[in-house]
Amino acid sequence: MTDTPAVHQTDPFDPEALNAAEGLDPVDPAFAQVLRIATALNLIPLAIGASVFDYLLIRHIEGPYGLITALAWLIAIIVILTFPSRRVARWGYKIGEGQLRVARGWLFRTDTIVPFVRVQHIDVGQGPVERWFGLSHLIVHTSGTHNSTVTLPGLPADLAAAMRETIRRHIQTDFA
Amino acid sequence: MSDAAAAAPAAPTIDDDANWQRLHPATLALAIVKLGPRSVNFLPAVAALGFTGNWVWIVPALLAFLLISLVAAWLHWLRFRFLVGDDEIVIESGVLSRQHRTIPFDRIQDVSIEQGLVSRALGIAKVGFETGAGGKENDADLDAIALDAAQALRTTIRAHRSDAMPTTAAAASDATETAAEHGDRLLFAMTPRQLLLAGLFNFSLAALAVVGAAMQFFDDFLPFDFNIFSIRDWTGLAERYGLEQWVVAHRWVAAIGAALSLLLIGFASGIVTMFFANWDFRLTREPRALRRTRGLTTRTDVAVPVKRVQAAILLTGWFRRLFGWHELRLQSLASDGEKERDHQVVPFAKLDDIDLVLAEVAIARPAPDVAWQQSHSVIALGGLVGALAASTGGLVAVAFGQALGWFGPVVGLAIGAAALFGVRFHRWTDLGEQVAIRRGFWKPRLTLLPHASVQSVDLKSDFILRPLGLATLVFGVPGGSSLASHEIPAIPLATARDLRDRILTARARA
Repeated sequence: MTDTPAVHQTDPFDPEALNAAEGLDPVDPAFAQVLRIATALNLIPLAIGASVFDYLLIRHIEGPYGLITALAWLIAIIVILTFPSRRVARWGYKIGEGQLRVARGWLFRTDTIVPFVRVQHIDVGQGPVERWFGLSHLIVHTSGTHNSTVTLPGLPADLAAAMRETIRRHIQTDFA
Repeated sequence: MSDAAAAAPAAPTIDDDANWQRLHPATLALAIVKLGPRSVNFLPAVAALGFTGNWVWIVPALLAFLLISLVAAWLHWLRFRFLVGDDEIVIESGVLSRQHRTIPFDRIQDVSIEQGLVSRALGIAKVGFETGAGGKENDADLDAIALDAAQALRTTIRAHRSDAMPTTAAAASDATETAAEHGDRLLFAMTPRQLLLAGLFNFSLAALAVVGAAMQFFDDFLPFDFNIFSIRDWTGLAERYGLEQWVVAHRWVAAIGAALSLLLIGFASGIVTMFFANWDFRLTREPRALRRTRGLTTRTDVAVPVKRVQAAILLTGWFRRLFGWHELRLQSLASDGEKERDHQVVPFAKLDDIDLVLAEVAIARPAPDVAWQQSHSVIALGGLVGALAASTGGLVAVAFGQALGWFGPVVGLAIGAAALFGVRFHRWTDLGEQVAIRRGFWKPRLTLLPHASVQSVDLKSDFILRPLGLATLVFGVPGGSSLASHEIPAIPLATARDLRDRILTARARA
């Protein structure tokens, strides 16, 4: 947590600088693939829907057939190819000093700190796509109504387990 | 039954059917009363019978419905039993799928007693056990047992807790210890006079709006074709009775009369709601909790454990503030009833009285000479964008020849002015042990948030705040509404980081 003024801290075209400037560790780059697949699973049905709409309606009313289809697929492909890696670069975390710090987003950046002693319980989860890439996500539950769960995705499975153990030890020492 | 005994080896419970208790038989009478609203579900069936011409079946169908409901209520009553052991309470319920629940007294944070109008006539009360597990389905209740039994049960559970006190006293905070010496004492009460005064300040046309909305909604169903909120209907009525000449002639009298009746309705509804909700309001300090009893028809008896108070919220209105009247709410892990998230512990009082209550929960109001810091005026942007949208929308409507569209720019101007004006009221200050956040002009709201209540901190910035070097702090605090989280908007980034570090180093609250 350096006191660098915010204006110098971020260059919108260099997302890697964001984590470095704030002293955060990046998440695993393979998380980009997970995000990409998730995005694709969301967008491709939409693009198919747009194509069907185009085929059934625009052609029927003799509008500019093909325009919507082309646009939908173009946007879908651009989003699937470029966005995930940018989003991944803007996730950052730092574990230590008795607290977990998770930062995400750039346009709307949220930087969350949860002291270990405030953690109620911890989940380590793994979806099918994550398993494919050997990744896990860590979910930390607090008793706060806001931020009752803080999720940190894109961790190598062993690292996530190690982090869970670190936090768990702190919870135990707090109660002792 | 043997499970219950096995679960509590310390309890020398005689495992005997005689120890099991049933709910009060009057609960069945309560079930009959509850049939009233429930029979609305049956209306479509009656309507269907009517439409198909099977009129003769309506009465038998109603009777069958009544019978089935009563049998169901009776079965529920028959299959519900509870056992008050030495260390725990065991509840068995369910007609087909049985549920067996054991709650150790140690885990019961508090016992609430609630009595509706019918319950009071029958001398029974609903007992709720607050376990702090969160979520409605996790809290058990006995609906309903005799009032004296309910009070005895609460005394038993409280006594158990105070027995356990010496062992935990070492860990308990100073506040609890000093309070234990005092025992129960009255902190705040409301006399009918105060209630009347509070009711006058409670002026609201909300009741009118509700009736109006209902009239609009049910317009098609009402047996009479008359909407009291439609001017056309009123003029129609006036014409029919030849009143129209009189109304036109005495336009001003009519207008003043209408305004006066509106005022009267506003005041009356304010006073009535205040009387119903807060009749015989009493807030007492008990060894571990603040206990509140109130209500005219439905009497509730709720306790807020002092150690579980997370934050205090001081509310007022722009007008009542001039007279120094405030309302105090405490944010606790549990929610206050079904609608309110925060516990209203002082509905209407001067600050001196409120300070007494605040002292009990170890929260202090900021001194009058404390230096407040302001949020950046960029927070008005949201309101300004809204104002712009309303104005453009209205002007577009005007462009299309809809004269009502002028309403848009007027509203837009009002919103914009209010947003700009309200900015000055967003202030905060750090009092060392707690943060104070003030906001709002129309309904000023002061949140007193002890550092120790904060579970997590978000530091947020976005494409608008970042170029200005600002950030918003959002605090994760237990309890309260998930919609209204505590935040300090748009403060300088360095200040925000500094405050975040200070808050997070605070120790957990007792």
